[in-house]
Amino acid sequence: MTRDRPVSVLDASDLPTVVFGPRSTLWWGVMGIMTIEGMMFAIMAVSYYYLRGTAQMWPPSGVVHPGVGITTLSLAVLLASMAPAYLAARAISREDLRGARNWFAVTVLFGIAALVLRAMVLDRLTFLWNSHAYGSLIWTTAGLHITHIFTGTVENILFVILLHRGPVEDKHLLDARLNSFYWYFVALSWVPFYVIFWLDPALLALRSAALP
Amino acid sequence: MSAEPISYPDDDALAEDRRRLEETWKSRPGLLGWISEVGHAKLGKRYVVTAFVFFALGGIEAALMRIQLARPEAGFLDPDLYNQIFTMHGSTMMFLFAVPMMLGLGVYLVPLMIGARNMAFPRLNAFSYFTYLAGGLLLYSFFFLNIGPDAGWFSYVPLAGPDYSPGKRADVWAQLITFTEISGLAVAVNLITTIFKHRAPGMSLNRLPLYVWSMLVTSFMVVFAMPAIMLASLMLAMDRLVDTHFFNPAEGGDAILWQHLFWFFGHPEVYMIFLPATGIVSTLIAVFSRRQTFGYLTLVLSLVATGFIGFGLWVHHMFATGLPQLGQSFFTAASIMIAIPSGAQVFCWLATLWGGKLRFRTPLMYVLGFIFTFVMGGLTGVMLASVPLDLQVHDTFFVVAHFHYVLIGGAVFPLLGGLFYWFPKMTGRMLSEKLGHLSFWLVFLGFNLTFFPQHILGLNGMPRRVYTYPPETGWGDLNLLSSLGAVVLALGVLVYVFNALRSLRSGPIAGDDPWESESLEWATSSPPPPYNFHLIPTVSDRYPLWTRTGDEPVVTGLKSDRREVLVTNTLDAELDHRDTSPGPSFSPFFLAVGVAVTFITSIFTPWGVVIGAVPCFLALLAWFWPRLDQGHTVLKEKKS
Repeated sequence: MTRDRPVSVLDASDLPTVVFGPRSTLWWGVMGIMTIEGMMFAIMAVSYYYLRGTAQMWPPSGVVHPGVGITTLSLAVLLASMAPAYLAARAISREDLRGARNWFAVTVLFGIAALVLRAMVLDRLTFLWNSHAYGSLIWTTAGLHITHIFTGTVENILFVILLHRGPVEDKHLLDARLNSFYWYFVALSWVPFYVIFWLDPALLALRSAALP
Repeated sequence: MSAEPISYPDDDALAEDRRRLEETWKSRPGLLGWISEVGHAKLGKRYVVTAFVFFALGGIEAALMRIQLARPEAGFLDPDLYNQIFTMHGSTMMFLFAVPMMLGLGVYLVPLMIGARNMAFPRLNAFSYFTYLAGGLLLYSFFFLNIGPDAGWFSYVPLAGPDYSPGKRADVWAQLITFTEISGLAVAVNLITTIFKHRAPGMSLNRLPLYVWSMLVTSFMVVFAMPAIMLASLMLAMDRLVDTHFFNPAEGGDAILWQHLFWFFGHPEVYMIFLPATGIVSTLIAVFSRRQTFGYLTLVLSLVATGFIGFGLWVHHMFATGLPQLGQSFFTAASIMIAIPSGAQVFCWLATLWGGKLRFRTPLMYVLGFIFTFVMGGLTGVMLASVPLDLQVHDTFFVVAHFHYVLIGGAVFPLLGGLFYWFPKMTGRMLSEKLGHLSFWLVFLGFNLTFFPQHILGLNGMPRRVYTYPPETGWGDLNLLSSLGAVVLALGVLVYVFNALRSLRSGPIAGDDPWESESLEWATSSPPPPYNFHLIPTVSDRYPLWTRTGDEPVVTGLKSDRREVLVTNTLDAELDHRDTSPGPSFSPFFLAVGVAVTFITSIFTPWGVVIGAVPCFLALLAWFWPRLDQGHTVLKEKKS
């Protein structure tokens, strides 16, 4: 290998320079960050159940459910935002820059709507992070996730700008597709917490209300 | 893999190609070069040196404790300073020395061992280093301002909570954790991607060097374990700063939650330190017994098994908290079970040594010292896995003795051997064998003299983390013996450092492969050029340098006028595509500064997050600002 004169060679000059999915290194990087953040969300969920298991009363007295309607709507908008993100990625695969830009712009609008709805949910809470451990958990988890929606939306805005003003190179196609991929993670990672924080207590309340 | 025999361009063309590579891959000069460096070899060496400095600081703290404990009722350190010093010692050794040292050595070695030109994400690599450095500087600056953490390296609540630790000491600890964990997580993702995507053609996963396997498993453990401690330290900081109640039982929180979250990270952390060490041991044993490692598959499976089982043991640190009996039994069983892969590894190493022609050079001496010491530490580990015995010696010096046997014996010995072995590759110069042997014997004897008596002290009931003890206890003699041992151990480390400094100036020139080794890092010059290999090698065996015939193909066709790197596929390392690796950049440094501003201001005010977001955003914007690359096509918007 330190020879000056190789006998035979593998020629790499015809290999492509832009590939997608698990073939690309960036895909692995994004998978890595999603795993780390997924782990963080999982640990928040575990902490919730741990504290619930040791609590005398859960949720503590004075906690009023913010409402099944608004929490469900907030999740629905977030999940719906995956559609324009997907369409943007599909436009990217066709190298349709204008289409991708427009769909990313729509994703941004959905992201902003999701943020507004999330703020409305938090506004309806009857407690703060410093009220009790339950409040600490809800506010911290929501805060972590809102940070994701916020930074994800900023990222989407930057992509709209990039696709608008250029120069767009073929390597950016990979970045843009992974951007959509990451956005799915942002949207889907709230599903477990919707169930844990809002749906499960609502169902429980329903059941206990049905009891004589 | 099909290779076509061709007549390669003449010598002039090769020389021209090499000259262009030199030009393309060179760093910027001076201080600007230091902060914009993205080369894995330079960053890796920087990690090793920085971690060694922290090792020395942690060692000085240990020495101060040993002076204080050498005789009963000594007044050398007052209780408050003693608390800070044992906390600094533990935090330094775990967060600023052991993990960064192991990951940093991986940053240096992995690309060389797999035939890559650089890490997969070079700028992320630079960011990791600066973040780690900022964490270390933060801890020591505050320590010298008398704001050093003092609640132990695992910072248990309620002691570290707002009620019992007023002031900022525990917050400094919590932010140190955040710095080092961000850095560690980034390195782990970087290593995983590098190992999966940048291997030389032909290096399928079943030909991966054992050291690289160990770094792969370690990186996965980092990814799954470190988020727990990041969140836990965030919760602790919030409990202290914005009055959340995660760990406050009065408001529905739970102090034991902290222990669960901490040890869910803390126990795997031990394996993050130990597994790279086993990788070093496997490498050294093969090279110094002149034969292929016995039981490659067993060793790989043991690494992976340890990686999984390592996540099922954390509760054995919490036996004294009064957990349900079934839970205790489960964790006892898991703790004993981990002896199975560890035992399998030890037997594979012994079998390799058994049939080999041993060369008793310094690295092998450290490995032999490792086997002896680690087996002893492992035995006390099996003892501690049993609940009744654990309850008896919990928080005594028996535990201190146990984990120093597994951490120093299990990780620092192989590390010292490994650094001795790779020193010629890193610097181009050989170390003195005489001084090497001397340092080994001083370290080995000094270590056992220091820590063996602590088993007995612990069994006699001496608790850990006490700043002194009365003479009537009768612990004085063994403590004095332990402190004298620490002097010998420190001498050994000094000889080691002296050896390194002396060889840097005047050591014999090493040449490419002074040890007649087996893996790819020895197939390039010492120290390697910034592009690592002029022509990327191909591999057809687990021990490429021992089995090469001279007609293995090399890779051509990578551009030398830009930083083009080869990407291969994950399982079989077949040619896949070419990628352009970024050159020197200031953005990682500025992002690390932004992160440091965020964390340090949030020790004092929750607005730190908002204040710090501004420099972070600007740095990220600069980082990702689109620049035109050679070799990429600019796309035009299609007219509809």
